[in-house]
Amino acid sequence: MKQYRITTGTVTYAIKGRDLLRRYGYKVKLERATSQSVSVGCGYSLIINGDLSKAEELLRGADVKILSVDEI
Amino acid sequence: MVYLDNAATTGKKPGKVVAAVRNALINYSANPGRSGHRLSEKTALAVYNVREKTAKFFGASGPEKVIFTSGCTQSINMVLKGVLEKGDHIIVSCLEHNSVMRPLYKMGIDFSVADVSFTDDDQTLENFKNLILPNTKMIFVMGASNVFGKKLPIKKLGELCRQKGILFGVDAAQTAGVVPINMKNDGIDFLCIAAHKGLYAPMGIGVLIAENAIKNTIIEGGTGTDSINKSQPESLPERFESGTVNVPGIMGLGAGIDFVNGVGIDNIAKHEMKLINKLYRHLSKNENIMLYTAKPDLNSFAPVLSFNIKDMESSVAAGIIERSGIAVRAGLHCAPAAHKFMGTIDTGTVRVCPSVFTTNEDIYSLVNAVKKFEKK
Repeated sequence: MKQYRITTGTVTYAIKGRDLLRRYGYKVKLERATSQSVSVGCGYSLIINGDLSKAEELLRGADVKILSVDEI
Repeated sequence: MVYLDNAATTGKKPGKVVAAVRNALINYSANPGRSGHRLSEKTALAVYNVREKTAKFFGASGPEKVIFTSGCTQSINMVLKGVLEKGDHIIVSCLEHNSVMRPLYKMGIDFSVADVSFTDDDQTLENFKNLILPNTKMIFVMGASNVFGKKLPIKKLGELCRQKGILFGVDAAQTAGVVPINMKNDGIDFLCIAAHKGLYAPMGIGVLIAENAIKNTIIEGGTGTDSINKSQPESLPERFESGTVNVPGIMGLGAGIDFVNGVGIDNIAKHEMKLINKLYRHLSKNENIMLYTAKPDLNSFAPVLSFNIKDMESSVAAGIIERSGIAVRAGLHCAPAAHKFMGTIDTGTVRVCPSVFTTNEDIYSLVNAVKKFEKK
């Protein structure tokens, strides 16, 4: 199964997103964003396995701002 | 000491709150979310949990709307200075605290003051309605007077604001933890909260819940996000939380909310109002005592009572009461507007406010102390 890094920018959005995706059965890990995943400096990412487009839809529906998405 | 100054700060804190603050200092002493290491992340999660709890407690739409501040005064300043701009008009009540009035005077914003009827909420609503101008941007009021306890008709004012497309801000310093508040149902855009009063948290922690946009920041700095950007980031709550947040205070607030939920807001309010009514009954028998409202009930009042001794400044009366080991507050309570409206600007008032921990005996101690002022 493919793994993705969804970068949210703030720790608040990252935790909100993590809790939301876990409720929908995603395996999610929270990690400090790397300079590769966030060009503007300082942020948080969610590492997920599973359906990326559904995850993005869920996050956007809950007003979680997504800065970038990368396949790992 | 019998402590009856809980409207200023609840004197006794629940054991859970004390334990949570201690736990924060021992086990969560890291910068939440900023540093990336395990302790930082653990602390960020603990802070987030309190955001979530606070959002749920006040019926907010999400944890990111919950901004931690140093107290209610900072929250109010952030709303007024962040939203209002030159050319805007705001309506406030005649009972407002200096935390509202002083920012407005300093900003030079055009404002109108609506009278509050102590007996007819519809009249109060009408008074606000009559002051709306084409450039009225906001109505901002206290949930209840910090001097006389009178509740404002929040839900009705919220409806009025929705109808007219006006923003609605509420200073919940005296109502959070004693009066149920649901931002969605009450139509509140900005809720300003003092955590160290009815939520039993330590001093130095407050909350602003912003359901609507606040354009301007009053403090800028590090947020741990978007650091390369020269401008303050847009995302809530970090946009308004520059600097390190007060983790012990936040965790104390979380425990305070748990405590209030555990006892039940309705039970707390009933207990405190029962004590206020008991006091009112006794004071009203004393011809030398001046009371300013009808006997308070929970529909119209928060459990706060002001009185005076005839021909005596409130501070003198409070000093005499203190000699009996009872702490009450005297003076203007930072709300000169309310005193002007009620005709007590020259004397101030003696203010009594119980907490969930106040007992019948505490109230009888005050009743006995005040008996000294009975006419001989």
